[in-house]
Amino acid sequence: MKKLLAVLLTLAMVVTLFAACGDKKPADAASEINVCIASEPDTIDPALNSAVDGATLIAHLFSGLAKWAQDENGNLIIVADAAQELTEGVKNDDGTITYTYTLRDGLTWSDGQPLTAQDFVYSWNRACSLELGADYGYMLEIVDGYEATQDENQPDAKLNAKAIDDKTIEVTLTTDVPYWNELLAFPSYFPVREDVVANESWATDPATYICNGAYKMTDWKHNSVITLEKNENYYDADKVTMDKINFYLSDDANNMLANFKNGDWKLIDDVPTNEIATLKTEYPDEFKVVGQIGTYYVCWNINEDILPAGSDLEGAEAEAAKEEIRNAISLLFDRNYIVDEIAQGGQVPASSFVAMGLTDADGSTEFYKNAGPNADFDGYYNVAADAQESNYNAAIEVLKKYYDYDEATGKFTNFPSLTYLYNTSEGHKAIGEYLQSALDGVGISIQLENQEWNTFLNTRKDGNFSIARNGWLADYNDPISFLDMWTSASGNNDVQYGKGANKDLKHYSLDLTPYGVDVKVENGTWAETYDVLISTIKTCNDTEVRYQLMHVAEDMLMATGCLCPLYYYTDLFMISKDVHGFFSNPLGYKYFMYTTIG
Amino acid sequence: MNSKNILYIVKRILLALLTVWVVITITFFVMHAVPGGPFLSEKAMSESAVKALEAKYGMDKPLMTQYFTYLKDVVTKFDFGPSIKQRGRMVIDVIADGMRTSAKLGLIAAFLALIVGVVLGAVAALRRNKIVDKIIMVLTTAFVSMPSFIMGVLLLIAFVIRLKWLPGNGATAGGLVLPIITLSLYPMAYITRLTRSSMLDVLGQDYIRTARAKGVSKWKIIFGHAMKNSLIPVITYFGPMIAYIVTGSIVVEQIYAVPGIGRFFVSSIINRDYPMIMGTTIILAILIVVMNMVSDILYKVVDPRIKLD
Repeated sequence: MKKLLAVLLTLAMVVTLFAACGDKKPADAASEINVCIASEPDTIDPALNSAVDGATLIAHLFSGLAKWAQDENGNLIIVADAAQELTEGVKNDDGTITYTYTLRDGLTWSDGQPLTAQDFVYSWNRACSLELGADYGYMLEIVDGYEATQDENQPDAKLNAKAIDDKTIEVTLTTDVPYWNELLAFPSYFPVREDVVANESWATDPATYICNGAYKMTDWKHNSVITLEKNENYYDADKVTMDKINFYLSDDANNMLANFKNGDWKLIDDVPTNEIATLKTEYPDEFKVVGQIGTYYVCWNINEDILPAGSDLEGAEAEAAKEEIRNAISLLFDRNYIVDEIAQGGQVPASSFVAMGLTDADGSTEFYKNAGPNADFDGYYNVAADAQESNYNAAIEVLKKYYDYDEATGKFTNFPSLTYLYNTSEGHKAIGEYLQSALDGVGISIQLENQEWNTFLNTRKDGNFSIARNGWLADYNDPISFLDMWTSASGNNDVQYGKGANKDLKHYSLDLTPYGVDVKVENGTWAETYDVLISTIKTCNDTEVRYQLMHVAEDMLMATGCLCPLYYYTDLFMISKDVHGFFSNPLGYKYFMYTTIG
Repeated sequence: MNSKNILYIVKRILLALLTVWVVITITFFVMHAVPGGPFLSEKAMSESAVKALEAKYGMDKPLMTQYFTYLKDVVTKFDFGPSIKQRGRMVIDVIADGMRTSAKLGLIAAFLALIVGVVLGAVAALRRNKIVDKIIMVLTTAFVSMPSFIMGVLLLIAFVIRLKWLPGNGATAGGLVLPIITLSLYPMAYITRLTRSSMLDVLGQDYIRTARAKGVSKWKIIFGHAMKNSLIPVITYFGPMIAYIVTGSIVVEQIYAVPGIGRFFVSSIINRDYPMIMGTTIILAILIVVMNMVSDILYKVVDPRIKLD
C-alpha cells in the first residue's frame, strides 16, 4: 500500500511539473509588455524610495504636479501633470519666492476618491519628516520652513506650503532655483493620501496601494513580478497606449540577458559587463547607451600625508604642495584607456567633477564646457587621447619638484606607499589595477584593498583611507547637487574637507566681490570659505551670478586635487526593436506608458 | 518505542534548541560588530534622520537590552520584527514568501533525485559491469563533478536561449522546471552511486545467498530483502540533503531568477538589514537542525541494530 502511495505521489509530482510548463502565456502584442529593470524594489513609497528602479515604477503609478515627457521632436521636457500649468513664481520682499498651482478638474485617486491640494501639502511634510526618515528627505530642502522640520526640538514644524482650497496649492521656496519644476517631477514631491499611508505596509500590497498615476498596481508577486494596469481614473488615460506592464524582478544580468534573447522581456536595464563588447556588435539596434548625470572619480583623503619623508614643509605650504602633487597625479591617468578598454560601456572621459549633462545658466550649454581654465579644451584637464603625453610630462615635471627622480629608470624613488580602497566588484577592481599599474610606471606604489559595500561606505565616510573609489549621481539638473556635498558638515564629505587636521588649516581664499557679493576671505579655513560660498549660492537669487559662483566652488574643489574624475557615467540597457514610443530621462527613469509593440 | 528511545529524542530536541540559541547569540553579536549599519547609503542621511530611525527600530538602546528584547520576541511570539530595508514588510512574511518557493523547488528536486537515484542505482548494481551500468556511472560521475552554476548556465543556454522551449525566469510556473532539474542532478547522481555500492554490498551478504538457496523469487529478494538494507546510507544522506537543497540553492535561484529564500542570505547582510539577517539565519538553522535530527531518528526505524544514545 505504502509503495503504491509513493508511486502515485511521484506520478502526481511529475505530472504537475510538466503541466506547469503549459502555463506560459505569450504577452498580447498590442497591449502588454514585459520588462526587467532590477530586482525587488526596497520600497515603492514615493517618499521613501531612493532608487532608480523604484522611481521608474513610481513614475508610472503616481502623478505629481509635473512630469517628464517627450515633445514631438523627441526632446525631453517637463510638463504639467496634476497641475493645470507650471506657473511662474512671485518674488516676496524677503527674497523668498511663492508659487501657486491649480489642480486639474476632477482628479481622483485610483480608488475613486477625489485628489485634493491638501493631499500634496500633507505628502510634502511627510516626505521630509524626521519620523519617516526618508533617504531623500533633503529633496525638500528648498522649500521654506525645511530647516525647522529637521530640528528634533520642533516636532510640529511644517513646510511653508498651504492648501488655499481643495484645488489650489501655494508653496514658498527660500530662493528661486531653475530646477524647481524638475523637483516637482521627482517622486519625493508626489502625493500620497494620509489615510492610505497610515498603514505602514500600504506600499507592499496591491490591495492597499492607492495611487493617482497613469497605472495602478494589480499584482505583486514578491521577488518575481509587479504588474501594472492602466488606471482609467487618470486624467490623461486616453493617451496611455500600453495597457499592462509586467515588471519582472531579477538582479542577475545574465538571467536578464537570457530572457531578452529569448524574446520574453522587451527591455532589460542591465547587461553582463563581460558581454558588452559582443552585444554591441551582435545587437547594434537594441544595445543602447544614454547619458546619465554622474561622475566616476577617485577621491583622496585630504589629511593623508603624501609628502616625502623628511620634507620640511608645514601647514599651508605643505597643503599647497600636496594640492600640486595630487593634481599632477590626476594627469597621469589615461582616461580614454579606462573608458575604451576597461569600462567599455560608452562612458565619456571626465575632465571635471560636475558631470556632463548638467547645463549652465543659459540652460543649454554644458556646465563642464565652461569649467576650468577655459583653454582649448573643456574642463580642468585635456582628456583628448593625443594630450596624454603632454599631460604625463607636465605631471612628471611637477612631481620632480618634491620627489627624487631616477632619470635612468624614469621612476620616483621616495614617494610614500599608498592604499587604494574600493568596494568589492570586478569592474572597480579592474580600474584599481589600471591605476596601480599607471602609478607603478612612475615609481609610485599603491596597494589595492577591497571591502564589502556597507563596510566600504563606513570606512570612506569616516576618512579611514588614503585614496578611494567614488561615484556620484545627481538627483536633478543643477550643479549644486555636486557641490553642496563638500561642505564641512555634510555627510557625504568623504574627502574630509574641513575635518581632522584640515579643520584649522588656514589656507583657503575666497573673493566674491567681482560677483557683487560682499565676501572676501584670505587664508581662511574650509568652513570660512567653501561653506560660506555654498550658503551664498543657496540663497542667491540671480541666476547668472549663481552659476558663476558654482564655477568658483568647483574651481576651489578641483584646486585641492582631492577629486580626480575619471569618467562620466552612462546608462546601458537593451530594448527590443519592436518597442516604439519609449523614452528615459537623465536620472535613468524608464517610461513605458506611451509605448506600442509591433 | 521504549523509554530509552523517548529519552534519546527528548535529549536530541534539547540539544537542537541549544544549538539554535547559540546560533542566534553568535549571529546577533557578530552582526553588530561588523562595521557599517542599515542606515548607511551612498547618499548620506542627516544625523537627526538617522537618530529618529534608530529610535524607531529600537537601535538606540544598549546592545544587551536589544539582545534580550529580541530573544524574548522570538521565543514568546516568534516575532522577527519588521525588515529595515524593505520598508513596511515583516521579516517573517518576506521569509515565508521566499520559503514557499524554495521549499517547493527543493522538495520536488529532492524527491526527484531520490526516486531516480535509487532506481538508477539499483539498475546499475543489478547490471554490474554491463553496458547500462557503465553509462550510468559515467553520467553520474559527470553530474557529481559538475558544479550547479555550470549545469544551470548550460541548461539555460540550451533550453531558454537556443531552443526557446522553457522560460528563463522563475516567476512563471514553467520557469521552475530547469532549476528543479539543475538542483536535483547532483544529489541524484550521488544517490545513484550510493545505492549502487550499498546494493552490491548487500547482494553479497549471506542472508541473500540463503534466500536465493531457499528459492525465493528474484524480485522478492531485491525489493523484500536487499532494497531495505541498502537504503540506510541513502537515508543518512537524504535528511541533510533536503536542508542543503532548500537552503543551498542560492546560485541556482540567481541563475533562473527564482524568488526563493537564497537571495536574502546575501542581500540582507550587504544591506545590514539586522532583523532580516537574524530571521533568515534562525529559520535556516532550525531547518538544518531538524533535518539532521529526523535523519538520525530514521536510522533507528530502518535498522533496529543501530543504538541511539
